[in-house]
This record gives sequence, C-alpha cells and structure tokens, in this order.
Amino acid sequence: MNAIAWKLIGLISEVLERDERDAVLGDLMEGDESGWRGLRDVFGLVFRRQGALWRSPRPWLAGFVVALPCSYLLMHVSISVTCTYERLVNHRTYACWHTGHEGFALLLCHVLLLVAWSWAGGYIVGSVSRRTLWMSASLSVVPTMFCWCWWGRMIPSRLCLFLFLVPAFFGVVRGLRDSRLSFPTTLALAATITVLMISAWSNQALWVLNWALVLPAWYLAAAAWRSRREAGLRSVSPAGAGPI
Amino acid sequence: MLGEFEYLLITVAAGLGENAYGAAIREEIEATTERRCSLGALYTTIDRLEKKGLLKTWMGEATPQRGGRAKRMVRVTSQGTRAAKEFYEVIARVSRGASWAEAR
Repeated sequence: MNAIAWKLIGLISEVLERDERDAVLGDLMEGDESGWRGLRDVFGLVFRRQGALWRSPRPWLAGFVVALPCSYLLMHVSISVTCTYERLVNHRTYACWHTGHEGFALLLCHVLLLVAWSWAGGYIVGSVSRRTLWMSASLSVVPTMFCWCWWGRMIPSRLCLFLFLVPAFFGVVRGLRDSRLSFPTTLALAATITVLMISAWSNQALWVLNWALVLPAWYLAAAAWRSRREAGLRSVSPAGAGPI
Repeated sequence: MLGEFEYLLITVAAGLGENAYGAAIREEIEATTERRCSLGALYTTIDRLEKKGLLKTWMGEATPQRGGRAKRMVRVTSQGTRAAKEFYEVIARVSRGASWAEAR
C-alpha cells in the first residue's frame, strides 16, 4: 500500500516546478513520512498551487477561450479535409459531409490552414499557461471524444478527428520553450492565414465560424509587436534614469 | 502585520539559522506547537514571505538521506526580523493584563 502511495506522490508531484518537487520529495524522504501522509501533503500543496494559478485569467483564456472552441472548429476542418481527400483520391463520398466542389487547390488550401490554425492555437495554449496545460489539453480533446462516440461511424476514419492535434502539439512544444517569435514571422503567419482564408471564402469553401480561427495568429502578431515596441523603449531610455 | 503562522515560520527559521530548510522548519513547528504542519501551508507561506521580502530562499545541497534531492534553504532578511519583532511587540502589548499572560 505504501509503495502505491509513493508512486502516486511521484506522479502528482510532476505538476510542481522542478526545484519545488525536489525540495518536497526530499523533505518527505528525510522526515521518514508514511506514504499516505506524504500523499496528503503533496496533494494539498498541488491543490494550493493550482488554486493560485486559476486566480489569474490566463488558464481560463488558454482553456476555455482558445483550446475548447478552437479544437471544436479544427475537428470539423479535420473531418472536412479527410472527406475532400477521400472524394478526390478514392472517389468515396460521405452523405453526412458535403464536399461538393472543392478541387485539389482548395484541399491544399484547407490543409495549410489546418496546420497553421492548429499550430498558432497550440503555441498560445503552450505559452500562455504552461502549468495548467493538463487542463487545456483535456479540454481540447472533449469535442473529439464527443464526436468519436456519436459520429464515429459516419466519418471516413475516427483517426481523422485527431488530425489537428499533430500541428497543435508542435505549437504547444514551441510555446512551452518560451522562445519568442519575431514580429515579421508572426505577421507573415497571420497575413498568410488571412489570404488563404479569403481565398477559401471567395470559393465558398469556408464555414463562417472558422473566421474565429484567425484570431490566435493575429494575437501572436500583436503580442510580438508589443514586445518589440517595449524592447525598443527600454533601449532608448538611458540606464538608471528614473523619476526625479 | 504578519499572520500567526507567518510569525511562527520566521521565528523558527531565525532560530535554526544556517540549518533552516523545509523539513527542519516543519519538524520544529510541529514539535513546538504540537500541531501538524502541512507541506502545502509551509511552502505557500514561504513563497508569500519571500515575495514580501521577509525571507530569502535558495536551493541547497542534496544529501543521500534525502534520496539525492536538494533542500530549499531559508534565511530571514532584516525586513523579516523587523516584521517579526513588530508582531511580537504587538502581541506582548495586547496581552498585558490578560489573566493567562500574568499567570506565567
């Protein structure tokens, strides 16, 4: 039983930051605590830490404004892309998903958009709230699991539901690294996405709600512009100059 | 003004001096107050006090009895000493004339 408690302690303490995890696990080992008391202690600490994090708007933004709605829309795009591919390449059509007029050019446009939208959304989720990533990740899988259960037989393959998760995963990893993107890069990304979306929209191949997916890319561009401006202001003001 | 647990923590850490770190502080608090001290309360209070500038913490050395894991060392700052002194004086002033204080 004690061994199970220690395994759970190891697992739960992964949520803590590395230094704190080291200190806490070392304290428990040194104090010769029973596994269950230690588990209660670590659980209490994790609960307090997570509680403190959720007082900030960032985890709410990452989870409920970005991860959940974007994953719902991106899941639809993933199915749409798969159905179009099936129709164009394997000449199979799916009654529940009308992909009437898109050709290879529009399919390519949709694939590029799917990758760019998912990557940008993943980047924001990873960079805005890294310590509550477990919640954002869980929320992003909710629409997929719902669809898996209810529409699983009506779509080409259940795996197609997860297409958007691949670029989103790489976006999250990049966001977690805390590597700032430059303003020209983010601007190029946002502009490319917008041009592709206008192109798809003018061909009547874009759901009106998908316009919301352009927001993460423009948010990245705005954030990069703001940090460049702040860095510029810091370099202009002389060191040590403050109010008199 | 400090809270009761914050005062306890600063006083114990000051008493332990160079040997003040999580497990030692916890053990001392539990021995003195005869009450359980949770790790959650301990570490969140240490963080809060550090943010207020009353404590300074850093990662210390790792020992075999800790499974090779580092200690989080704690030192009371001069601001922390002042805050604890102020708390003690307030308690001493407010306790003057109280039956339990005179009984000692």
